[in-house]
Amino acid sequence: MKVIRAIYNFIVGDMVILVGVLLTAVILGLINFTGSPLRSLTGIILVVAVLITLLVTLYGELRGRF
Amino acid sequence: MEWAIALAAFLASAVEFVEAFTIVLVVGVTINWRSSLVGAFAAAATLVVIVATLGVALVQWVPIDYLRLFVGIILILFGLKWLKKSILRYSGLKALHDEEAIFEETMAEIRARGETVAPRVHPFGVALSYKSVLLEGLEVAFIVITFGISKTAGSNGIASAAIGAAVAGVLVILAGALIRAPLTKVPENTLKFIVGIMLTSFGTFWTGEGFGYSWPLSDAFIPILAAIFLLASFIFVTWLKWTKQRHQATGSVSEAVMPTLEEEKIQQ
Repeated sequence: MKVIRAIYNFIVGDMVILVGVLLTAVILGLINFTGSPLRSLTGIILVVAVLITLLVTLYGELRGRF
Repeated sequence: MEWAIALAAFLASAVEFVEAFTIVLVVGVTINWRSSLVGAFAAAATLVVIVATLGVALVQWVPIDYLRLFVGIILILFGLKWLKKSILRYSGLKALHDEEAIFEETMAEIRARGETVAPRVHPFGVALSYKSVLLEGLEVAFIVITFGISKTAGSNGIASAAIGAAVAGVLVILAGALIRAPLTKVPENTLKFIVGIMLTSFGTFWTGEGFGYSWPLSDAFIPILAAIFLLASFIFVTWLKWTKQRHQATGSVSEAVMPTLEEEKIQQ
């Protein structure tokens, strides 16, 4: 458990970022490997998802402070 | 010497070298040069082993798309972590991280115990540098092999492509050495903010490529991604500052929520 925690803290240390990025990767994986017509939107989906992840984690920090 | 092959390999490899060297440079400036160089040399050694073992078969055996996907996701995670901290510091929600003060404080404690220290190798810096150099180095190897064995190449194709790539590598390293000194004068949080933007941009780009997506303008889309993340970050900083001021005006914010230097040290 200690090792997993150390790796988690080393790579990201933020559950919102980890879940957001992994969820995005899973969704994009499904879109691309099932040949969905959304494949052409991979770039846009990725950029928007990264920005939403950043926004959500910042919002979480903000709520924790006020 | 086949000049057309050498020139094509030079131009294509220069782009990859710039991408790898950018990350080696920022790791060196923001973390330390020992970690950055250890990662870069370890990656170079791994590359030598891979290329020496697989040779031309490298193109068939290394799943470059999966590697791009893995490195891309890790870089996004690293990038967002740094970007978040920098944005919080710019907006005043987190104390500005005074690396120099922490370093001096730690050194004073060590000197008081009568010990000496060598600059330590930071695993985060080594990993970042290693992954980037390995990925980009593999791409350079792909370029050299594919250009070298293309239909237009003759018997010296691989040698010409390798010379073109090597010249590109040397020029990029020289250019990097020149801009290293001015970079050290940039404030720490600004550097970390820029690194966060760059890691997120490279990570997004490589993740997209890992899924088989072809970005418009190819590698030239990376600066556009950086501009998008930069603009979004400025909007986020403005939003956080505005929210903080609004709460301060109503008296609902406490300065106690700002981490102390000691807490900052623990978080690092």
